[in-house]
Amino acid sequence: MTDPKTKLDIYRTMVLAQSWEQALMRLIDENLAPASYHPGRGSEGSEVACTMALRESDYLLYDHRGMAHIIAKGVPLVGLFGDFLGNELGTTRGYGAGIVHVADPDRGVLGQSGTLGGSQLIAAGAALSAKIRKTDQVTMCFFGDGAANRGTFHEAANAAGAWKLPLVFVVQNNGWAVSVPTEYSTGGAFVDRANGYGFPGVAVDGQNPFEVHDVAVEAVERARNGGGPTLIEVKTVRLLGHYLGDPQAYREAAERSTSATRDPIVWARAALKESGEATEEQLSAIEAEAIEQVEAAREQALAGAKPTADVLTEYLYV
Amino acid sequence: MTASSGARTITYSRAITEALDEEMARDERVVVLGEDVGRMGGIFGATPGLYEKYGADRVIDTPISEMFIVGGAVGLAITGLRPVAELQFADFIVNAADETLSKMSKWRYMHGGQFRVPMVLRMPEGATGGGGAEHSLCPEALMLSYPGAHIVVPSTPADAKGLLKAAIRDDNPVGFFEHKALYATRGAVPDDPDFVVPIGKADIKREGTDVTVIAWGRAVHWALAAADLAATDGTSVEVLDTRGLRPLDTDAIFASIEKTGRVVIAQEAPRTGGGASEISAVIAENVIDLLEGPIKRIGAMDVPIPQNPALEALVMPTPADIHLAVKELVG
Repeated sequence: MTDPKTKLDIYRTMVLAQSWEQALMRLIDENLAPASYHPGRGSEGSEVACTMALRESDYLLYDHRGMAHIIAKGVPLVGLFGDFLGNELGTTRGYGAGIVHVADPDRGVLGQSGTLGGSQLIAAGAALSAKIRKTDQVTMCFFGDGAANRGTFHEAANAAGAWKLPLVFVVQNNGWAVSVPTEYSTGGAFVDRANGYGFPGVAVDGQNPFEVHDVAVEAVERARNGGGPTLIEVKTVRLLGHYLGDPQAYREAAERSTSATRDPIVWARAALKESGEATEEQLSAIEAEAIEQVEAAREQALAGAKPTADVLTEYLYV
Repeated sequence: MTASSGARTITYSRAITEALDEEMARDERVVVLGEDVGRMGGIFGATPGLYEKYGADRVIDTPISEMFIVGGAVGLAITGLRPVAELQFADFIVNAADETLSKMSKWRYMHGGQFRVPMVLRMPEGATGGGGAEHSLCPEALMLSYPGAHIVVPSTPADAKGLLKAAIRDDNPVGFFEHKALYATRGAVPDDPDFVVPIGKADIKREGTDVTVIAWGRAVHWALAAADLAATDGTSVEVLDTRGLRPLDTDAIFASIEKTGRVVIAQEAPRTGGGASEISAVIAENVIDLLEGPIKRIGAMDVPIPQNPALEALVMPTPADIHLAVKELVG
């Protein structure tokens, strides 16, 4: 069971991710960052609660929606703003901008495959690497219900199952692959696939990050102790569009309003108050602190210099 | 044979095995993975004995999962290992195209230099009689339009060993094309365990003064045979082995053309869109004023490789084709 301190940490990190995203949207409004972004509102419960089951030395392959998993892994906010601003302070030294390839090898953040699903294979490789090198590192790989339908998943899951790799797959099922509903595009349930590859699958409600954390801790421990992979299917929601500015004409109003009632941040706040594990003052302080932290990082990141043409071939060949 | 005498005659496939063995012994981060590379020793016999010597953790028989073989190797490479992955046939590069052309080749660049991807992707290539349209290709040029990885194609046992060792020690990803028809060929290979052939340096396989024939991989041997034929006409052919397509040793190419003033480029891949086309363009852009005649390209017919070996032979370029091009150039 997630202890009260961890619950508050989860809430703090979700709020930090939300504040970070709001600040990014302001930068986009101000034309300081390109508008290509896949908002993560709604999936913080899944991303934060799963990632917080990892150690700093564990590996993370995040997905393209939101930045909450990356923030939960401890990547400094200045670097993330720098990535979107496309300047030297970014984790990729100004190569990113827009839908970025954040990387932080020291914190196990191994980057992103722009073609979604590609990360599943790299995650399987990273997990195999830990096994070969006989470390106890665990790899966690996030992807959406859309990317779960790529063939890359089959090849990665099969290898992970065959060799009992220390790997946790997190399917963030928000019901939508861009504009196509999951029930239209998918045969069977994602969680049931795990058994076919010889490892356990667990479905969990992403609105309740504390329950998600329990599930993730169990999966990570199993992986670390040689018990092999787990697939966690988190039922989550996409509160905003696929991309910033997506009019979402393909979604019914009723479905959108139901989704809106399943915000994990709103839920966790109420739950913490109701259980007496946090007071209104504590929660407000956490929220104010997040905004302060984000503002400070934003200011610092805005001072970064833009890259110039001389870097264009710098990182091509060693 | 003593170290001072310096060389033994071995096959091209033995050269590959020795390179892998020596580098695995030298550096425990080197691991081998692919279909049938372990217990079987490779479908073309290029990895025998490694599984017994280094164990299942370092010589990994993978599922038939090409995307995993290459994508997984990228995951190994960015977390401290130095994988040598094998696609059983070079044709399978398209089964793992995104993993090869984007993940392997671009991971470092896309992430602002935060990673190195020290991996080698071995790809047995070429038509050897009956493989058909999907097991006979030399798809080296597919990698050309995707910057980020070296493209190496050895033609002799010495080059195979020296270039593979260099590729394993290199911190860049390397596409390493081995010609299946060359595995059984023999040649002298230096004994020195630190014998490496630098990547991106061309080799003059035969000196000549009248015509330069540029080739790599199996086509080097066709070029040498064509040079023999031309010699009977009194024409002196220089055979320049590029040993791959990237980096391309343009200095060596230009120097040879400066000497001969005539150039034929021979490849096994179909004529259109191959390495020869790119090399032609580089020559035309830079040293066209040194040429006394047109640049000649020799390659396979622009058709899928027929499964019937008799038809395959009709599609493949031959030493006679190269010889004819040489004759046309010298008039």
